[in-house]
Amino acid sequence: MQALEGAVIACAGLGSRLGMGMPKCMIEIDGVTLLSRLIHALQPLVPRIQVVVGYREELIIDHCARHHRDVVLVRNPDYRTTNTAHSIRMGSVGMQSRVLYLDGDLIIEPSSLAAFVEAAATVPLLVGVTRAKSTQAVFVSTADGADGSVDQVSAFHRDPVTAWEWANIFAGPPDLLVPGTRYVYECIEPLLPAAARALELFEVDTPEDLALAQAGINGFARSE
Amino acid sequence: MSGTAFCFDLDGTLTSTEILPCIAAELGIAGEIATLTRLTMDGHVPFEDSMRLRTLILGQVPLVRVHEIIEAVPLSAELQSFVRDNADRCFVVTGNLDVWIAPMVARLGCRAFSSSAVVTPGGVQLHSILAKDDAVRLLRRQGGYERIVAVGDGANDVPMLREADIGVAYGGVHAPAPQTIAVADIVVNDASSLCKLLKAL
Repeated sequence: MQALEGAVIACAGLGSRLGMGMPKCMIEIDGVTLLSRLIHALQPLVPRIQVVVGYREELIIDHCARHHRDVVLVRNPDYRTTNTAHSIRMGSVGMQSRVLYLDGDLIIEPSSLAAFVEAAATVPLLVGVTRAKSTQAVFVSTADGADGSVDQVSAFHRDPVTAWEWANIFAGPPDLLVPGTRYVYECIEPLLPAAARALELFEVDTPEDLALAQAGINGFARSE
Repeated sequence: MSGTAFCFDLDGTLTSTEILPCIAAELGIAGEIATLTRLTMDGHVPFEDSMRLRTLILGQVPLVRVHEIIEAVPLSAELQSFVRDNADRCFVVTGNLDVWIAPMVARLGCRAFSSSAVVTPGGVQLHSILAKDDAVRLLRRQGGYERIVAVGDGANDVPMLREADIGVAYGGVHAPAPQTIAVADIVVNDASSLCKLLKAL
């Protein structure tokens, strides 16, 4: 297995559940956008970063022109009628082997992201999971390793509730993203069971998630 | 290698400065021509009208002097190296005049589609202005390429980006015009990132 070819960050969606009138990745915590936090964490880990933009793309294009000039922006003008699986497939333009896919509304503890990317270099597909905490979690059935860490996912489901949820991040080949599927995890389902690894992260879908993430970021800072 | 052809705008994409204001400096009107060029690139003045006017004014500068000036216009080192390494499938697609840019095209070592002019004792006379989408169509018909990628920054690049299979709005020199971004598939602001992307396409 080779190291990952790059990362694709999905930032095209409306983020309607949060209702802030801007892409979720542009939310600032302590004056730094979620997108900047992801890019800073990813830059030492992957050679290329591609960001998919759609809803209010001008905000993200301008932000990257000012602060992240080496990032490639892929436009999805049909973001209103297409889903994340479609967006990140578009975002993989020019990538053939294996790519890190993640949502732009994630706040990830940098060292756990680094460990995930390192582990992804050794398997064809690596699924990210995290301790269940978001308001609209997709739970996962897992097999745990000897030390209690997660090392395999066998199913995704809304119920029963489990201790772990799908983290909206995975590393795998672009052709896994088949058109027509609604959710990204549905593209992974036919390949289960698959290798998995836990990350310390927050996903921001609702105001409650955002409050949780704001508190959580202080926890990241303390653990560094 | 893949059967991908690359079409590059010249001024402000391959070159790290606009060429016509450099020629205009010879007549002491660099600022005025730079303003007209900016208005044209931003789509406020039709490219054809602007190019006719600029040719009429700058055509007074002797061709030998124009070539000296153009020799000194800097090219993006990274993009130049990409073009040289892929000269058989890279094309300059520019509204600039063939008689002016010939030395620069020679420096790049690739082929070019451009506006054309004739040199007369009285100066340079515009013959025809390139429609950049025609260049892409011609390559598609005759080139035998599987895919055509176009890279540009200005309003006059819109038809080229729209006609190409993959349109890239490039902001490495200055911010791409909003209407150029609006027809692009990809926006890139950095020469090194652009080269990495193009190599992968």
